Amino acid sequence: MLLKDAFATAFTSLKHARTRSFLTMLGIVIGIGSVILLMSLGQSAQNLIIDQVQSIGSNLIFAIPGATKGSRLSSPPSAQGIIIKTLVKQDVDALKRDPTVEQVVPQVQGMARAVSDTNDTDVTFQGVSANFFAVRNFNVVKGSSFTEEDVNSMNNVAVIGQSIATTLFGTDNPVGQVFRLKNLSFRIIGLLEKKGVGVGGVDQDSVVILPVSVAQKKLLGQDYYSYITIQAGAKYDPTFVKGRVENILRDSHHITNPDKDDFTVRTQEEALAIVSNITSVLTIFLSAIAAISLIVGGIGIMNIMLVSVLERTKEIGLRKAVGATNRDIMQQFLFESIMLTFAGGMVGLLIGVSVNALIYLVLVYFVQMTWSFALPLSAVLLALGVSTLTGLAFGIYPARQAAQKSPIEALRYE
Amino acid sequence: MIQADNLTKVYTNDGAETRALDGVSFKIKQGEFVSIMGPSGSGKSTLLHVLSFFDRPTDGEYRFSNHSEKELDDTALAKIRNKDMGFVFQSFNLLARSTVFDNVLMPLLYSEVSADQREKYVKKAINAVGLNEKTNVEAGKLSGGQKQRVAIARALVNNPNVIFADEPTGNLDSKSGEQIMDILRDLHEQGRTIVLVTHETYTAEYADRLIKLKDGLIESDEPIIHRRGNGEFFK
Repeated sequence: MLLKDAFATAFTSLKHARTRSFLTMLGIVIGIGSVILLMSLGQSAQNLIIDQVQSIGSNLIFAIPGATKGSRLSSPPSAQGIIIKTLVKQDVDALKRDPTVEQVVPQVQGMARAVSDTNDTDVTFQGVSANFFAVRNFNVVKGSSFTEEDVNSMNNVAVIGQSIATTLFGTDNPVGQVFRLKNLSFRIIGLLEKKGVGVGGVDQDSVVILPVSVAQKKLLGQDYYSYITIQAGAKYDPTFVKGRVENILRDSHHITNPDKDDFTVRTQEEALAIVSNITSVLTIFLSAIAAISLIVGGIGIMNIMLVSVLERTKEIGLRKAVGATNRDIMQQFLFESIMLTFAGGMVGLLIGVSVNALIYLVLVYFVQMTWSFALPLSAVLLALGVSTLTGLAFGIYPARQAAQKSPIEALRYE
Repeated sequence: MIQADNLTKVYTNDGAETRALDGVSFKIKQGEFVSIMGPSGSGKSTLLHVLSFFDRPTDGEYRFSNHSEKELDDTALAKIRNKDMGFVFQSFNLLARSTVFDNVLMPLLYSEVSADQREKYVKKAINAVGLNEKTNVEAGKLSGGQKQRVAIARALVNNPNVIFADEPTGNLDSKSGEQIMDILRDLHEQGRTIVLVTHETYTAEYADRLIKLKDGLIESDEPIIHRRGNGEFFK
């Protein structure tokens, strides 16, 4: 039997049982739809994270207090909320002396209640050195950022993000206004460019940036840093500079055995690898859950095909009587199940892409998030490949049952 | 053409043996019209199934067009059924939701007839049973007599040497039954070998030769002197 005829025969049989074919397909539609949707959303989330990590600056290296145990991708203790006081001013000074290091930005952070004349809100404030704005791509759109002089003189000045500005001062120009943090008055000298909603719905415009000296001494009462951002010189490979940074910190901390480091140094690329890794694992995990519905759908197909084989015993007998070989019959029933799952896969793909597009529109136009629309080719190929394979895998058993019927028993069947 | 030597067919059911055929031998020459008659349980349907390669004998030898059944695998049997045999069943065995055209087309799907020749073959076969105007009607919507004519067209479409008919008039009123027998008679006049199984003497007498079976054995095998019908379907 020609392939073309086999397809036509299978198609006609499916058409004659329209409702059943449609219901059988549903499981596959849902399975493929969810896999496509989750893989696309995962890709979009990853794009967003990568964009954001890249947008924080270039050639960056981060020194974090505390050693990282285990793999390269595990998080250091400071990221788990344990306070480690090993990064201090002499480290910053030592790093600044290295010729491969372009900029060094010490940073601290803390939380406090910000109070204006009319309103108040909880904020996370960051204490940074004056070069932070240039190194980390934080642009001031109104007023100006603070200077090294402000840091050295411990002036109570602040640069704030647009959400905080709106919360504290409404539509008024915030520059020149005064607000309080822990009973200290701060004069706002600059307003940051709007950045929008970031990963996990975090409002990137809800920031208060202060001179590091002020935050450290006046608000937190500490002499250590939360972390240090280092910008490598443009002509140096960040990985090379990372090695130098590690050696400088070891010298400064009097450590001879690298296994006893009390700090962790990571390049921007490594940080990127970590977050990409997290989203990839999450995407794979969610897609695997969605794939379970494919198995359920496949079993549904097998079930219906077995019923169909039984129901069409006479037809099988007739086809064999007029010359169909076992292979012809097997082929016909296999094509029927593959056509069902492939069509289900196509419909699922369409639905997955549509829902993905809908989510994109809602996020961009209603939530105003910087979200990108992604449809990974791998997801499309995987979905169509997997749906076809599902048809093949779950269609073989019923098709064999059909092929093995003897013509005479099949014709006698009532 | 057809040669049966000492054919036996034994069915075993729950340990009990049934000898449906108990040593049957005969020959049918090219162009003969043979009726096989017998009461129910005589083995006539079993014999037809063996002759038409639907089933294999337990013992004995069956040769069709010089091919011994023993030398052929299932695929080879299917090819011979497709190319050299046509079948007409008591219960028509049509695909009710497919059109007359598609029903008649079915054997060609498994044959070597090229796709562009098929329509010609199908139309010729439908024309031979006088159902041209029903070509695109769903088979399920036809009357019993018309259904059996579609089945005959399907049996003819591959232009086989032999047509096996198993109680072809069993589900029909007498007028439709006569029409069907007239068509078979016509086909015989055109040179085809017809093997007919029936339990009605009236129907059996359209043939030239009558083999009577009883308890799996041939009771008699004689020519019919005053056969019925003149193949007048198209006259």
